[in-house]
Amino acid sequence: MKLMKALKRTAMIGMTGALAFSLVACSGKTEEKASDNNAGSKSDSPVSIIVTNGKGEIDAQFKEAAKAFMDANPDIKVEVNSTAVGDTLNVFDKLTASGKVVTLAMFEPYAALNKYKDVGIDLSNEKWVAETTSALTNAEGQVVGFPFAVEGMGLVYNQKVMDKAVGGTFDPFTINTQDELKELLDKVKATEGVKAPVAYQTEAWSVGNHYSSLFLNQVEDPATLVNDLKAGSVDLAGNDIWNGYYNTLELLTSEEYNEFGKRPIGQYYDAAHLAVGKGESAILFNGNWAYDSLKAVAGDTFGFMPVAVDNNPDNPVNNKIAVGPTQVLVVNKKASEAEQAAAKKFLDWIVFDEAGQDFVVNKSQVISAFKNNPNTVTNPLGIAIADAIGKDRTMHFTTNFINAADWPTTVGPEVQKLIAKQSSKEDLAKYMENYFKNQQ
Amino acid sequence: MTHRKKNLANMGNSLLFLGPTTVFFTLTVLIPFIYGLYITFNRMATPVDPMVFAGLENYVNAVKDTKFWESLWLTLRFVVATVFFVNLVGFGLAYLVTSGIRIQNSLRTAYFTPNLIGGLVLGYIWQFIFVQTLPSLGEKLGIEWLELGWLGDPTMAFWSLVIVTIWQTSGYMMIIFIAGLVSIPKDLMEAARIDGAGPFRRLINVTIPLMIPSFVVTIFLSLKNAFMVYDLNFSLTKGGPFGSTEMVSMHVVNKAFVEANYGTGQAEGIILFIIVAIVTGIQVYSSKKMEVEA
Amino acid sequence: MKVQRIVSSTLIYLISIIALVGFIFPFVLLIINSFKDNGEILTSPFALPSSWSFDQFVEVIVAMNFMVTFKNTFLITSISTLLIVIFSAMAAYHMVRKPTKYNKLFFTILVASMVIPFQTLMIPLIYIYGAKLQLIDAIPIPLLIFFYIGFGSALSIFIFHGFIKSIPVEIEEAARIDGCNTIQTFFIIVFPMLRPIAVTVAILNVLWIWNDYLLPSLVLNNEAVYTMPVMMKVFNGTYMNNWELLIPAILLTVLPILILYMISQRSVINGVMQGSIK
Repeated sequence: MKLMKALKRTAMIGMTGALAFSLVACSGKTEEKASDNNAGSKSDSPVSIIVTNGKGEIDAQFKEAAKAFMDANPDIKVEVNSTAVGDTLNVFDKLTASGKVVTLAMFEPYAALNKYKDVGIDLSNEKWVAETTSALTNAEGQVVGFPFAVEGMGLVYNQKVMDKAVGGTFDPFTINTQDELKELLDKVKATEGVKAPVAYQTEAWSVGNHYSSLFLNQVEDPATLVNDLKAGSVDLAGNDIWNGYYNTLELLTSEEYNEFGKRPIGQYYDAAHLAVGKGESAILFNGNWAYDSLKAVAGDTFGFMPVAVDNNPDNPVNNKIAVGPTQVLVVNKKASEAEQAAAKKFLDWIVFDEAGQDFVVNKSQVISAFKNNPNTVTNPLGIAIADAIGKDRTMHFTTNFINAADWPTTVGPEVQKLIAKQSSKEDLAKYMENYFKNQQ
Repeated sequence: MTHRKKNLANMGNSLLFLGPTTVFFTLTVLIPFIYGLYITFNRMATPVDPMVFAGLENYVNAVKDTKFWESLWLTLRFVVATVFFVNLVGFGLAYLVTSGIRIQNSLRTAYFTPNLIGGLVLGYIWQFIFVQTLPSLGEKLGIEWLELGWLGDPTMAFWSLVIVTIWQTSGYMMIIFIAGLVSIPKDLMEAARIDGAGPFRRLINVTIPLMIPSFVVTIFLSLKNAFMVYDLNFSLTKGGPFGSTEMVSMHVVNKAFVEANYGTGQAEGIILFIIVAIVTGIQVYSSKKMEVEA
Repeated sequence: MKVQRIVSSTLIYLISIIALVGFIFPFVLLIINSFKDNGEILTSPFALPSSWSFDQFVEVIVAMNFMVTFKNTFLITSISTLLIVIFSAMAAYHMVRKPTKYNKLFFTILVASMVIPFQTLMIPLIYIYGAKLQLIDAIPIPLLIFFYIGFGSALSIFIFHGFIKSIPVEIEEAARIDGCNTIQTFFIIVFPMLRPIAVTVAILNVLWIWNDYLLPSLVLNNEAVYTMPVMMKVFNGTYMNNWELLIPAILLTVLPILILYMISQRSVINGVMQGSIK
């Protein structure tokens, strides 16, 4: 009995001791950390910077690039944090809420200018600004975003099937009216081996963020149209281009042409890319990233064609594909001066160092926004975009002008309702007008 | 003197038995929860914004959010459907694998495997089944309603979620039922048999009453899981088609983190907590009462 | 009578086998697809792989830094589970045998806490333990174990609670007459009787902690301390996942649990069988 009592006492003391110890241990660590930070900003000892990467698929490449950069700059330590599919809390918010300062953050342009507008410092005087036309500028005209990736979207097609359908080499820019598009669809439909000319996945982000922002390109500067929409002075139901986009969408998702026409909404991402990749279908709407899924199937080549919205062959939107910077890097105001300098050094490295140029284009298959980058991507959809840029057949990547974060749960489902014939274009027009009006 | 000593010993015991749990629980759940409650009385667009006191504004917004109530109603229907089937199937499986058939050990492992696969891959596998396999089966057999992908129709997408939930969680409930079933004294069963009770009578009159502690747990768990469903919702239907299967947890996450209405989302989370706490509280309280009587 | 028995046992077998197919096929799919490349996975998910090469597994093991992530996951899961089982059994025992007002209230709070949507705790957790106390960077793994004990206690106590009730007090009283105090009574007499349910509680906790993504993804910010589910984000893309690596990774993550489950299930059954022989 006595033994047990003694045992109990020991256990209790042990527990209190452990608790006390852990408290001591904690405070010790905290102090150490604090002094670490001070040292970083005062002396020349290694600077640590935290970088967030919004393109989860190039996580490995990004970390390798960081390593190469660190080898060349031993006084700088780069820590890369990538986003992942299904993360509830985005990586920037997570790190910030846990008390860290992200030095270099990757945002979508709209987020950089709105939700995170107070994050970035002025980068107007950086050397790389002269090498690009895609730098992100804020309302005051300052450069705040370093364009990391240029991407494009349009109607993705399977070259082999198209060549067969038109009997020769298919030129995507010949399809610049709705009638021609329809004719093409009929030709493809009649081609041997084709089940349905179109296989469109119709996911909310695709029909929403991407497809449904395209109408903003009817003016030179989409931002002005967005401002008018916010002011409530635009009548979408009476807007021809807006209607044209949905007429074309109805055509693309119709029972007549769409693989999934009988029930056009579903979870068809893999199935659609599979069909176009295999050549059972020829067309879907998506961006250059679609190649990751298309290539899973065959060595075929793919390209982009414009989305024709009316029968005027001179309408610019009928002749261009949407291309623009989709991810920008922003240097955080809250980082120390030494950290900001290190981040800028990393940006310079990406643009001017051979290893940095190689990382972006060759390793990550990202289209560089910088003229001086000598490399070209080998991904056929990337080549198609570079080709369109060369021919001056590009227009704004309009997703950058809308709040892309909430469209998949707000506007996207409403567009899906239209596709599933659960609502009318008038309903959608009204919904979108209200959506923009409530943005202020 | 002895009385005091006994009190002291009692306190010592309480401290020893409850102390660790109290400390861990308070620090990880209670305090963050209270802090989370405090957040709801402030205005902040994103979780990293500085807070501004806003009174009940977030709750007013939450109550006014019709989509929130729609998603809650949908979740409620989901709860009813899954709680019933999950427990029925789970109990059935447990009964099968303790019935003494020769392959029961292998079966027990097999029925449990769906629990090992979660998140993205689960949704992916089932997408294949609902989008490709079943339609091609329907085509071959000429069953018209099977021919189109399930996830494009609101009703079928809803039942897809129910089916996958049953499939995924009944194995989990099974192992809780097994622990209950194997704890039933063998002599009690024997006595019932000698008294002439058939298998069905024994199930109703002996087994099920003795299994009430298990049912308290499994019904609670299936209720809670169904109310909180998020992963499956996200990976299988993403709330679609056109937002028709957006359950309440997904709505809260979207509100707070996707649409950047953090304060309102957090407030909706608290309202959800209160509702679920009341429902499960009634369930646990009433069935714990049965437990005592049994 | 005999015919009836044969019919009923055939029926049991039939139902069991049908259920078996239904429950096991995803696992089979996981296995066969782990040998395929992306193209094959997408075009023919239900077919056997064209070749049984282990290249992908090797690639995954390297990409995941397998030895380290496995060790982290194992450490976190085993320590958390062990402590949860012991502390929860103790707490539940105390609550059942000493149903004071405070204990009843605590039990109610515990049960209620299980229905707190985790999303509402995410920001408070990282704010308190990251920004305020700086523990997320200083001691990520101990902190995570600490969190798991905190979050895991409620369910475990809840499960133990019901089963401890069904243990007759008389045995304990006899032990006490023999001179055991409360602690001795608990560890020598009560805890062994809880074995089937303790194993069940352990399985449920292992399963949860081993596969958990959300909580570790908030606390672990450094690849050196990643657990396997967190490490898997290496194979995620923005629009599409790298299935040819993700699937073998999932299989490698899941296998240890499956083996553990098979072993521990046998131990539950054996334990009970021995009990009934006596």
